[in-house]
Amino acid sequence: MSAFRGRKSPESVGGAEALRLVGVRKVYGAADAAVAALDGVSLSLPPGTFTAVMGPSGSGKSTLLQCAAGLTRPDEGQILIDGVPMTGGGEKQLTKFRRNRIGFIFQQYNLMPTLNVAENVTLPLKLAGRRADPERTRTVLAQVGLADRLAHRPDQLSGGQCQRVAIARALVAEPSIVLADEPTGALDMKSARDVLSLLREAVHAHGRTVVMVTHDPLAASYADTVQFLADGQLAGWIAAPTPDSVAERLAHLGDPAHQAATPHHQPIGA
Amino acid sequence: MLTLAWRSVRHRPARLIATLLAAFLGSAITMMFNSLHDTAAASGVDARSSESLSLTGGVVGGYGTLLVFFAIASTLTVNVRQREAEMHLLRCTGATPGQIRRMVTGEAAAVALLGVLLAIVPAMLGGQALVAEFRDTGQVAGNVEHTFGPVALGAGLAVTLVSAVGAAALAVRRAAKAAEGRRPRARLRTAGGLLALVAGVGSMGTAFSMDAKDSALMAPAAYGSILLSLGFAVFSPALLRVLLVRFSRPVSALTGGGGYIAVRNLRRRAEQLTGILMPLMLFVGIATATLYLQGIESDAITASGMKKSVEDKNLETVNLVVVGIIVVFACVMLINTLYATTAYRSREFGRQRLAGATPRQVLATVATESLVLVVTGVFFGTLAAFAGILTFTSVRTDETMPSGQGPGIWLTIAALAVTATFVTSLITARRTLRTPAVEAVAVAA
Repeated sequence: MSAFRGRKSPESVGGAEALRLVGVRKVYGAADAAVAALDGVSLSLPPGTFTAVMGPSGSGKSTLLQCAAGLTRPDEGQILIDGVPMTGGGEKQLTKFRRNRIGFIFQQYNLMPTLNVAENVTLPLKLAGRRADPERTRTVLAQVGLADRLAHRPDQLSGGQCQRVAIARALVAEPSIVLADEPTGALDMKSARDVLSLLREAVHAHGRTVVMVTHDPLAASYADTVQFLADGQLAGWIAAPTPDSVAERLAHLGDPAHQAATPHHQPIGA
Repeated sequence: MLTLAWRSVRHRPARLIATLLAAFLGSAITMMFNSLHDTAAASGVDARSSESLSLTGGVVGGYGTLLVFFAIASTLTVNVRQREAEMHLLRCTGATPGQIRRMVTGEAAAVALLGVLLAIVPAMLGGQALVAEFRDTGQVAGNVEHTFGPVALGAGLAVTLVSAVGAAALAVRRAAKAAEGRRPRARLRTAGGLLALVAGVGSMGTAFSMDAKDSALMAPAAYGSILLSLGFAVFSPALLRVLLVRFSRPVSALTGGGGYIAVRNLRRRAEQLTGILMPLMLFVGIATATLYLQGIESDAITASGMKKSVEDKNLETVNLVVVGIIVVFACVMLINTLYATTAYRSREFGRQRLAGATPRQVLATVATESLVLVVTGVFFGTLAAFAGILTFTSVRTDETMPSGQGPGIWLTIAALAVTATFVTSLITARRTLRTPAVEAVAVAA
């Protein structure tokens, strides 16, 4: 899989799409105090891309990710994973849809405390009634650098190690798309870099599709493209991001004069 | 701090319902039986009636106090644990450990007082019924009237308030230790468990040195069963862990992904299971032992061709009442503990759902855990009871196995245990599943 596949713009609607959102709307709160966390978001991501979603607090970026993952039900709009529309119905149907197609990585890892590393990684397969190939489990854990920690439990691992277990868990079922919500939010700098490199490797070396929500420009710079979000609506994107270009763009989000401006002036502090 | 306690009670009354129920039941029973002392002391009661009344009042009095303390302690421990976040917040805002202790003990005292007040009328009615029963069976003279006086009221207040305040202080201390990251002393528990087992065997041993006709013969056998139940509750989780390692494959194969998690949960949390197994085993052990002992005693009296003496009848009444009390208390403790531990796991269930478990698979986990727990509890409870029953039978009747008593009583007790465990766990788990998984994992984060 060539690294170039990931350089497509998020708006280019190709034949194959890993994720497609059509007019997704999600409103929180009752009628008089209603807030639209997502206000008609349409988005299409081709397979083999690494996209970061950025925006200020309350911009709806986590809601976007949770809707895409089938963890939160949108009020309007449609979500397609690999061209298959997300089923309606109860939690049971959604779970079954989700666990075969979507891998999710959380800021707080959400590993099962009573299961060891290998058991945590194979849990989604076990729950889906699929056989967990021990060889495949070892390979995935070796990829995230934890081949020697199979029998450890989460409370015996560092935060960075826990997040790497969570990445292995998200990858083991070979999902169509991997969604990561602030995966480095609870980590130190070194662990954060390891985790981001692993996500990038999953895309560029193993052809997975990754969407990551983050508020950190440095983390976003590991992605191929950065999609911005403000007040529940898409607010432009940039390709081949650097920490500076992301921070610059973020600083002027929602600022109409700068919305379309390209940063040709001298960046502050440069 | 008392103002804070009062507000806390007013805003979250539901949390203290279990404690209130324990205090209410406890003080109702305490006052009901202690009113027999008041009745015995009333003028115009003959010496024989007076002795009958005092004896019954005294026997249940001691038993009752212990049970009230255990029940209130169990509900308060759960209550305090549910409020870890609130207490942490108070500690952060500058509350001293003493202030937090006063808040919790103040709350407990208020609830206990309410429980006593609510229990006065039921205790009066219960006492009247008890004295009427004594009159009908000829255990007291026909002219004895029930009196509800200072002994009953004083005992009710004292037992319930002291239990509540003491249990609250203990619960806070445990919570504070847990907050500091100190583990509960496993060695102390092991020693206690060993002591219970040794004392249980010893108690049964003394039965063999007693006369077959001795009316007190039932006591060492019954106490032996209680002590063995306690000991088994301490040691059975370790045994369970060994068994689960061996049988994890067949259990997982039968119950799917949900059972797979259940087996691992039980294995790795074995130490924490004692809290659930204790009331379960006590319930099964004490109810089975007492009811069968009484049945065997009645059979033995009939077989010898004698009629029951007043003392025999006294003992029978006391036994049946004791079983009644224990059944109610153990059920309150069991249901409360199961409810709390299951509700407490909302976050864990959320993680399980996020990892791809359907709601049904989460319930399968809970059901498998409940099944393993209830089988263990009923097995060891029955074992403890059986030891007492065999001891009593061999001394009292020269037989090795009790004849004439069917399995009906045991089946009823086991069915009650199974129902309480499954219904409480599954209903509570189902309720936690109403919260979306993403919110459930975020709550305590």
